[in-house]
Amino acid sequence: MSNPTRRDFLKLTTTALLTASGLLGLGGLLRFLDYQTEPPRKTEFDLGPASNFPMDTRTLLPDVPAVLIHNAAEFSALSLVCTHLGCTVEQNADGFACPCHGSRYNAEGSVQRGPALKPLRSLRIETKTDNTLVLHTD
Amino acid sequence: MRRIIGIASVILLITILFAWWWISREPKPVALTPTLTGQVEYCLTCHSDLQEISPSHPVKTFGCVICHGGERLALNADLAHSTMRGRANPSDLSVVEASCGGSNCHSGSEADQRNHIQRVTTSIQSTYAGAIANIRYSFGAQSDLKARLGIVAVTDKNNISLQAFDPSTETNPMIQKFGANCLTCHIDATPRTGEAFDRFTGCAACHTPLTPTPLPTLGEGQGVRAQIHKLTTAIPYTQCNTCHNRGNYDLRTMTFVERTDQPTDRLHNYYQPIAQFTICEYTLDCADCHTRTEAMGDGQIYSKKTDIQYIQCQTCHGTPTQLPLTKTLTDPNDIAFRLAGLKPVVNLQLGDTILVTDKDEPLWNTRVLPDGTYQLIGKATDQTFTFKPVMGSHCTQNGQDQSSAYCHECHSVQR
Repeated sequence: MSNPTRRDFLKLTTTALLTASGLLGLGGLLRFLDYQTEPPRKTEFDLGPASNFPMDTRTLLPDVPAVLIHNAAEFSALSLVCTHLGCTVEQNADGFACPCHGSRYNAEGSVQRGPALKPLRSLRIETKTDNTLVLHTD
Repeated sequence: MRRIIGIASVILLITILFAWWWISREPKPVALTPTLTGQVEYCLTCHSDLQEISPSHPVKTFGCVICHGGERLALNADLAHSTMRGRANPSDLSVVEASCGGSNCHSGSEADQRNHIQRVTTSIQSTYAGAIANIRYSFGAQSDLKARLGIVAVTDKNNISLQAFDPSTETNPMIQKFGANCLTCHIDATPRTGEAFDRFTGCAACHTPLTPTPLPTLGEGQGVRAQIHKLTTAIPYTQCNTCHNRGNYDLRTMTFVERTDQPTDRLHNYYQPIAQFTICEYTLDCADCHTRTEAMGDGQIYSKKTDIQYIQCQTCHGTPTQLPLTKTLTDPNDIAFRLAGLKPVVNLQLGDTILVTDKDEPLWNTRVLPDGTYQLIGKATDQTFTFKPVMGSHCTQNGQDQSSAYCHECHSVQR
């Protein structure tokens, strides 16, 4: 086997360097193209079997945030986002209170005291064929 | 040619490796999507240790950028801060409209009392119009005491305007000296140097109280004790003291003469040595009695402080012939509930009777007790004070005379 010449060595080194640069550059490009800021906000929440929520109960869903209400008629849900500026309201004996600016809502979500003007938003509950519940916030 | 290609390939590789290294140095972003804006911001990557600024402005709802500005997606500190409003203080009056304004926030309508910014910018604490008018009148630059000039040009809700005070256009050297030495007290002025004067400017001049101990300063022009991420309506007297009780202006030399005493107790720290005052004036904080309208104005331009200062002894104590004004809360939307909610030192309920000013403003931290006495809770101290009306006492004062010296004649504290 003949010894590589100086020219062959330089050629090989240059090729290797360019290949490495190309791969790194390609990696950077893929990383740039693949970049995502944040996933879009979740609008569907799988709540599990309807049997987990007995009749005449109100269940807080802090991840949404919302309260799931099960009364004689049906399942319903109220958003716990204050309609004034978007703080999360807290449930109390009379209904809901906003800790930020003092808005008060009754247990059905109607405004009892401002500064909020609109009631708490009703959220859609879907009952799947397997009797599980899905809450939609959109 | 091959040599050039070889060298270029080395440089290219080094450049790419440097870029990878540089990017890898950046912190992993901590994302927050405030419910109010719905736009992701990365400020918490570096600022997760900051305390919530107030219960009314939770970071989860407001985020940082809506108030502070800045580049929300930048991870480089210089870039992220490059477009911030008011440096560390977005409430400076030069930027307050962009930071704190908006019809849902503090530039709302007069009707729902959300016009804080309009009121503050025309208030005497901001315009300094009374002092300017007084000095110009005293030195012959104007023929009466009516305010015509303010720190900045401003127009009030009645279309009354002030032009900007420009000391360089004044011919009297004393007025020029006043301009040079005596404009440090309006709320948008950079405070005088010294721990006793430390405060922010704008809304934060009052609503961001000093920290008890010095913190590292954020930069020039910001006091070393004012660096705390907090907004509150429970304003202790020490915050008012940064402007109102640190000395006096000497009108002969037109200079500010600082207090030389350094009292550490409330009794001596609250009021200047020459002042006469009663026990409630130093045991309570200024904000326990003086209303937000007195402090922040009512949207009209005034020529002197006493035109907008109306809390008197009789507001809480009445007179020998009249009980103080009261109001029973029957409307759940009464502003008293909203104000009480900002600093819940009292649990106001429908049916409670509270004291009100003669402008029908609720003194929401008071309550009329069943035995006819009154209760006041200190907004900053949470202390409970009970007091009686003058009516039915041995007091023989003329109820119409509410001047300070008149009540102080019998009730002043001796030091």
